[in-house]
Amino acid sequence: MNPAMKKILTHILLIAFLPLVAFGQQSSGEIRQENSGKFAITNAKIFTVTNGTIENGTIIVNKGMIEAVGADVEIPSDATVYDYQGGEVYPGMIDSGTKLGLKEIDSIDESQDSREFGDITPQMEALTAVNPNSEAIPVTRVSGVTTALTMPEGGLLPGTAATINLFGYTPDQMYAGSKGIVINFPNSRRSWRQTQEQADKAREQALEDLNAVFDKAELYADIEDAEDTRYYPEMEALASAIRGDVLMYIEVNAAKDIMSALEWVDTRGYQNVVFTGVLEGWRVAEEIFEAGIPVITGPVLSTPTRASDAYDAAYKNPGLMQQAGIKVAIRSGDTENARNLPYNAAFAATYGMGKDEALKAVTINAAEVMGLGESLGSIEVGKRANLFVATGDPFETKTQILSVYIDGLQVPMTSRQIELYEEFLNRNPGLNKYPVTEN
Amino acid sequence: MKLLLRNVLKLALLLPLLFISHNLAAQSDYTGQSYPTQTFAITNATIVQSPGMVLDSATVVISNGLISAVGTDVSIPSDAEVIDGGELFVYPGFIDGMSNTGAVRPEQMERPDNLFTPNPPNDYAGITPEESVIGQLDVTENSITSMRKLGFTISHTVPYGRMLPGSGSLILLSDEKASYDLLLKQDVSMFTQFSGAPGAYPGNTLGIMAKWRNLFTQAGYNKEHEQLYAGNPGGIQRPQQDLALQAFYPVIDKTKAVFYHTNSMLEARRAMKLKDELGFNLVLSDLEEGWFLLEDLQESDIKVLMSLNLPDEPELSEDEEKSDETVQLEERRQEAYDRFLSQYGEFKEAGVAYGFSTMGTSSNNIKGNLEKLVASGLSEDMALAALTTDAAEILGIGDIAGTLDPGKIGNAVVTTAPYFQEDSKVKYVFVDGEKYEFDTSESASSEVSEEAEELLLGTWDYSISTPQGLQTGQWIFTNDGGTLTGLITSDAGGPDNDMNNLTFLDGNLTFDFDFDAGGQSVQVIITGDLSDTQFNGEASVEAFSMSIPVTATKSPN
Amino acid sequence: MNRFDMNKLSLLILLLLFCTQPLKAQVSTGDVLIKNATVITITDGTLENTDVLVEDGKITRIGNSLRTPNGVMEVDATGKYVMPGIIDAHSHIAGTSINEGTSQVTAEVQMADVVDPLDISIYRALAGGVTAIHLLHGSANVIGGESETLKLRYGVTNPQDMMFEGAPRTIKFALGENPTRGARARGIQPQSRMGVEAMLRNSFREAQIYKQKWDEYRADNSRRKVAPTYDRRMETLVDILEGDVLVHCHSYRADEIYMLLNVFKDFGIEKLTFQHANEAYKVAPELAEFGAGASVFSDWWAYKLEVYYSTAYNAAILTNNGVTTSINSDSGELIRHLFHEAAKSQKYGGLTDEEALALITLNPAKQLGIDNRVGSIEEGKDGDIAIFEGHPLSVYAIPVMTFVDGVKYFDRETDADDQRLYVDPESTIEVVQIFDADEQHKCMQDAEAINLYEFLNN
Repeated sequence: MNPAMKKILTHILLIAFLPLVAFGQQSSGEIRQENSGKFAITNAKIFTVTNGTIENGTIIVNKGMIEAVGADVEIPSDATVYDYQGGEVYPGMIDSGTKLGLKEIDSIDESQDSREFGDITPQMEALTAVNPNSEAIPVTRVSGVTTALTMPEGGLLPGTAATINLFGYTPDQMYAGSKGIVINFPNSRRSWRQTQEQADKAREQALEDLNAVFDKAELYADIEDAEDTRYYPEMEALASAIRGDVLMYIEVNAAKDIMSALEWVDTRGYQNVVFTGVLEGWRVAEEIFEAGIPVITGPVLSTPTRASDAYDAAYKNPGLMQQAGIKVAIRSGDTENARNLPYNAAFAATYGMGKDEALKAVTINAAEVMGLGESLGSIEVGKRANLFVATGDPFETKTQILSVYIDGLQVPMTSRQIELYEEFLNRNPGLNKYPVTEN
Repeated sequence: MKLLLRNVLKLALLLPLLFISHNLAAQSDYTGQSYPTQTFAITNATIVQSPGMVLDSATVVISNGLISAVGTDVSIPSDAEVIDGGELFVYPGFIDGMSNTGAVRPEQMERPDNLFTPNPPNDYAGITPEESVIGQLDVTENSITSMRKLGFTISHTVPYGRMLPGSGSLILLSDEKASYDLLLKQDVSMFTQFSGAPGAYPGNTLGIMAKWRNLFTQAGYNKEHEQLYAGNPGGIQRPQQDLALQAFYPVIDKTKAVFYHTNSMLEARRAMKLKDELGFNLVLSDLEEGWFLLEDLQESDIKVLMSLNLPDEPELSEDEEKSDETVQLEERRQEAYDRFLSQYGEFKEAGVAYGFSTMGTSSNNIKGNLEKLVASGLSEDMALAALTTDAAEILGIGDIAGTLDPGKIGNAVVTTAPYFQEDSKVKYVFVDGEKYEFDTSESASSEVSEEAEELLLGTWDYSISTPQGLQTGQWIFTNDGGTLTGLITSDAGGPDNDMNNLTFLDGNLTFDFDFDAGGQSVQVIITGDLSDTQFNGEASVEAFSMSIPVTATKSPN
Repeated sequence: MNRFDMNKLSLLILLLLFCTQPLKAQVSTGDVLIKNATVITITDGTLENTDVLVEDGKITRIGNSLRTPNGVMEVDATGKYVMPGIIDAHSHIAGTSINEGTSQVTAEVQMADVVDPLDISIYRALAGGVTAIHLLHGSANVIGGESETLKLRYGVTNPQDMMFEGAPRTIKFALGENPTRGARARGIQPQSRMGVEAMLRNSFREAQIYKQKWDEYRADNSRRKVAPTYDRRMETLVDILEGDVLVHCHSYRADEIYMLLNVFKDFGIEKLTFQHANEAYKVAPELAEFGAGASVFSDWWAYKLEVYYSTAYNAAILTNNGVTTSINSDSGELIRHLFHEAAKSQKYGGLTDEEALALITLNPAKQLGIDNRVGSIEEGKDGDIAIFEGHPLSVYAIPVMTFVDGVKYFDRETDADDQRLYVDPESTIEVVQIFDADEQHKCMQDAEAINLYEFLNN
């Protein structure tokens, strides 16, 4: 079949599929052929995020990289063409706070790998524990979320988080290229049994413990290269963070704790720091901005942190921080429903952040915060082809996602939830096992 | 020799007469405990006969357990001990509307095997309305003396327990040898509270409300059945002798009132709801959040005992640059505090009389809280009424107590200055016509025993070996204005707990404290032997029939 | 009340919150004329540039350019959307206890006893356009307690004033992992789905026997008769058998849903709504045939094994198969954007605007038996109304005003930030509570037996 024929056929196929695709019913494996080759997405509105919007443009992808983007891009003759007339193309969304691949069913401990025993376990690698076949992964990516930061939890230093693309058969195929240790910063939260003084005392103690560990780690970082350094994997992992080889994700939420964390970072002089959570960031936005620390915040769909707060405090939080100059990424904080990331961003947009900034918060900002600004987060030449095509604004609830590409590979637009829909919309047999006939 | 023999014989003859209680008049008493007279006259004193009725330079005579005379022109009996009341103030003895004074917590129950059934055994479930507080009374209980020292002479004491612990009785706060001698009036109330059984039905408010309705209704049916059977048993199945249900009969008949322990507004609303549905006489007791209910209380026959447990005054933050938000939040909190305090005066002004319940209040705080209330708008007369006449009315003893009227019981409080003044001290308390004297010198008399002073006071480092590991912290014992008090701290950053029912006698230390485990109050009892540097004992928890070893050593400083 | 100026009324309500003399406990009703809005009626299409007049708490007129009666507050809703107040058929806010989990059958308890009108979550729900909720007993017991339908009249302090007067009685059942988990922990029945069915049949059979005894007693004319044992638990079960109580059953798996349909058929019980029912879509034809309703999440799944095989298309499949379906929150957080949850049925299954909005208005009203009063904008129905900037099914929609019985309880423009009704004088100023998504599932609260080791060790 000559390329022209192929082109026409593809056009036809696509148009034929569109109505079905609108319901996400495209079956698995159909158009997965076009993997490593060259292809073009054309006739669509392209939201590059960093270079404005192209009303009607074309993207050329080759071996997973974006080779061209523009209104008048010439389509190479050996490229398969996907005509998405009326569709909108966006960079794949990035959820900078999930446990995707690490948790399957909350109530079954055996299915959870996000939490290891022990307070100081920074060397625990989330990446290798990711289950590429987790049911939540297809469910998430068909909604346009292509990349996620998956994080260990529990204890003071739960482990090393990793950024993964939601397509691949091994963790290495999924790995997007960024890691960071997680620090659950000592917090001032008190349990129902504590007085405020008790809680403050406990927090001081935890801070002392944290400093003690990092003092040791800094020492270790100095002597690490010596011949007889003792084997101490926890310290190795921390040294790696101290040297800046990996990021430091500091989970901190209350205003008082954020201030405390800012002081801690300043005293210790770490540069590769990201604050996560930051639900009260709006209260200390100036201070965070001055420190130049980027922020991953969410879930935006949260209740206010204080009973006396305005009801929409959590919705307004990302916008207020962004307006103070802080680089804000938005996370869902979820695992099986990371697909709701765009709605977290949408609420932030509605309550002050604006659509443009909110879109950045789940694309380029998230990428940059994780140190992947060169390869992900926008539609630019030289970046990886993490894209999705939608029938309209991806923040709007009823928008359908037509296609998703991760690393230039077209993702099967199906998941078990879609399959169940297909099976049970009109169940067969229905109420009666055999059709009831007149005679 | 002959003289000696004669004296010995005299002694021998007298011996039988020596073992007589000092209460009986005209007996020989080799302990010398008995008081020479049963007649007292306080002369030339300021006598507050009842709230609003003040007599200057007057005399009150108490004789044979009763007030025999009051006035400015009273003749003093010849056998009276005369007390110069020139600087003194005399009030009717205070009445505590509801408390646990004099009662001791019963031993915790073993967890029964058939716990998780719809109908666990009544005693574990806390459904024992047929019980009486009399079984829990202990004449040596510290609380009797500490309450008396504040001027309280009568207490409506209710039993410890869960949902329906039993009936309360009115006791006199006097020194007695036997607990029944304390009794003024037996089994005057049905005491109930929203306290669920740990792990058993009813576990929380939901079950308690349903159980209440069920018991009340079943009692009604049982009563009818019993009446039918009593009239003529022929052909009728015999009625079940269900003691718990029988305890409801006087409540159904409204001859006995239900004293519902309700701290919060919501608890009070629930008690009121039960009353509306079932129809019984209700006294809301130890009420803290009353202001929500004022309007409805004005139009009903529900009686009230207000709590004396006032919140601490809110402290403002000391930041120089307070944000607007903080200022607003602090204002709201202050408003809430003021709201709380002003309700006491408002109730009286609205015509809703009330007595006080000291159940939720530490005895250390009572006087101070009364002063606070008076300072924030409650008139002294109103406060006094709550302590005397209104309380007497609610408890049904208005004819025998509450005022210094001749013929009424000989209960009185004598102070060195007007009672509600900060520096006033209680010098005498008369209970049932007997005089109790207190040292009002600057170094107030200590109720703390020498033994405690020597061995106990100070800081102890404790450790409790739980299956999960060692729990450590400190016990701090102090002599707080004459009362032995104890504080528990935890190294794990847990709460500071006050010790309740703290006793130290003959080397045995016992106290308990309460945890709030997610809405349910759980009690831990610690008891053991203490020598001068070492304590060995055990901790037991109501909810589980198990004991955990506890040790403590005296901290060096 | 008719002649009261709306501003005065709002002030009165504000005073209620802060003044020393609490007003007499009563349900307040109000008047308002909402002008020139796009009115989504649910039952009669969408009307442009239309006015809605509420008098004394009831919708009296819907039309164009209505005349404003004397003293009635006007709200200019030009460019805005008006829809019926949202109804959440599964909620645990505004209650101080959720489960009486100490016995597997507790039909005698009632959520009406634990209503908490001071819960700030009530205000936050109003700020999401919600006007009524179904306060449910938890799911620790096979047969739980009676639930309560409430109107969100935030500001009242008497729990009685929140009751939705005249709403039918409802009761909570639970199947599957939740009740069996509790029983397993305690070493009693039911520890399997088989046991759950057995317990249901036992309970109903015992209730039948109880009823028979009492019927005989009442029919007995002799003067010397003794009543059988009275038991509120049995009384309530009898009421269920007689159709006086609507059953709402927490359930997930298709087979247990199917089981309950059969048990109910055997005992002649007809009024049934399945709550959560994540796998209801698998037995949609059976549900439709029985006439049972389903009140579901939009997309929650994977938190337990029994919801692992869920699909977000559940609501759409059920609707397309003729099952009366509603979407609920079971969360103090989610309740605030139920309008967005409803819109997900357009993404997952392509429901129309009307179908989607019915999921949070008329359908839950039907399931609670209150559709004669609320659930749509029709003359004669209650003035429970939500006003939005932006179409409610758009993610960019902002609820701006919410009315219950014609009284305004939420106004985005004028409401102060701090909406607490009661402040503890001993509280600290900076009490921070970080939202935990996992703690949202309150269905099992209060159910676990106290663990000594747990609390001694923090």
